[in-house]
Amino acid sequence: MLKAFSTASTGMMAQQMLVDVIANNLANVNTTGFKQSQIEFQDLLYARQKEAGTEVAPGINAPTGLEIGSGVRVASTLKIFSLGEFRNTGRNMDIAIRGDGFLQVVMPNGDIRYSRDGSLQVNANGQVVSMTGYTIEPALTIPTEAAAVDIGPDGGINVTDQAGVRSVVGQIQLARFPNPSGLQSQGDNLYAPTDASGDAVVGIPGQDGFGAIQSGFLEKSNVHMVNELVNLITAQRAYEINSRAIKAGDEMLRNTNNVF
Amino acid sequence: MADVSTQVSASLEALTQEFDIITHNLANVSTAGYKRRCSSFSSMLDDQQDAAATALDFSQGNLVETGRTLDVALYGKGFFVIETPDGPLYTRHGVFRANQNGQIVDSEGRSLAGASGPLAIPTTTDISQVTVSQGGRISADGALIGQFRIVDFAGKEDQLETVGFCCFRAPQDVPPRDVEDVVVKQGYQEASNVEIVDELVGMIMVSRMYEANMRLLSIKKDTTNSVISVAMG
Repeated sequence: MLKAFSTASTGMMAQQMLVDVIANNLANVNTTGFKQSQIEFQDLLYARQKEAGTEVAPGINAPTGLEIGSGVRVASTLKIFSLGEFRNTGRNMDIAIRGDGFLQVVMPNGDIRYSRDGSLQVNANGQVVSMTGYTIEPALTIPTEAAAVDIGPDGGINVTDQAGVRSVVGQIQLARFPNPSGLQSQGDNLYAPTDASGDAVVGIPGQDGFGAIQSGFLEKSNVHMVNELVNLITAQRAYEINSRAIKAGDEMLRNTNNVF
Repeated sequence: MADVSTQVSASLEALTQEFDIITHNLANVSTAGYKRRCSSFSSMLDDQQDAAATALDFSQGNLVETGRTLDVALYGKGFFVIETPDGPLYTRHGVFRANQNGQIVDSEGRSLAGASGPLAIPTTTDISQVTVSQGGRISADGALIGQFRIVDFAGKEDQLETVGFCCFRAPQDVPPRDVEDVVVKQGYQEASNVEIVDELVGMIMVSRMYEANMRLLSIKKDTTNSVISVAMG
């Protein structure tokens, strides 16, 4: 059978996966703290039918060989950790990280996950929790008698009590990774560390390369809708041309069959 | 008459090969840094040689902005060098990442060669603070940490062996030489240099020629039949 069929089908599969990635990016165009994914394609291995440089006549070497490739593969998807736009919410407990760093979220089993979603909440016990209700590491508690809460650029949580006395009740810490692209996406805006991401380094916002905290803002998704739409069009066309290759191959084989 | 069928079968084989090459190009229409292959099939028809060859077309692909810090594209000549246990590989697929130790690696985790030793980003640096100058010098937080090793092959690029995954290996007699005057663009990928229209035209030509060859075969079948029927009365 024609090798072209399997080659073109790898092309169709790859473009299909590209559409899947674009669809997920577009679906999350309004998700707080979402980071867009980018897909990486690589060509597949080659069948070398004739080596370059083989001797075709005494003293004459073939300048080029005969290599037939077998298509394309998806090597990886890469998360792009560029900053999203900041949206003013006016809510004191909404924070955006102006640079590198993740909030640390404690899962029910004690594992720590990492998030850029800064829509913090206070639960019934006064604990500061993430949007989904998981507590933040280090644990922070807002006293019940507090009248107002504000969060400084360094992540310090200040409360003002009924009498108007301000006091610091806690400190938000951020984590960063040598290779954030190696983090595993867990859904719910959470990332899990892997061997590839390296170990988390914890620090104070605004110091040692950590981003400062901007209270009253949320970080929007960093997906650019126009770029994604352009990518979608190219993916669709590339899919089409690969399916046309299969059709052309099919016609060639039909021709063969018609002779006999 | 006998050699009609041998000629037809040789040209059918070559056409099938050409078709395989076109489909491979089309499958890689979105692969960054991919260089299209062109088959020298037409020259084979002229020279009556019995083996076709594939040549690499190293023309520049478009530069597409991605905004990713470790996406680097070469504009003009040059190859990045990837260190492997089996010797260096050369690539124009400039999609890199940092591993857990901050070393700059490719998608297989193989490290990228610097002009003087491996390249590593200090783990205290935010990856977005890494900048690459046009000459390929890499700075983290404003401090120089190294330079991409970029080589070319003095016009012998088309003798490189493809090993897949966008990498090339250099045969013994094609030594790499370091080049200085390169243009490196950070935040860009070099798109595949496959032109859909050209490949489509090639595909149409191949399928029509295939059809013509098949018609030859069927004419030959008809004439043989009529000769036999005349002979048999």
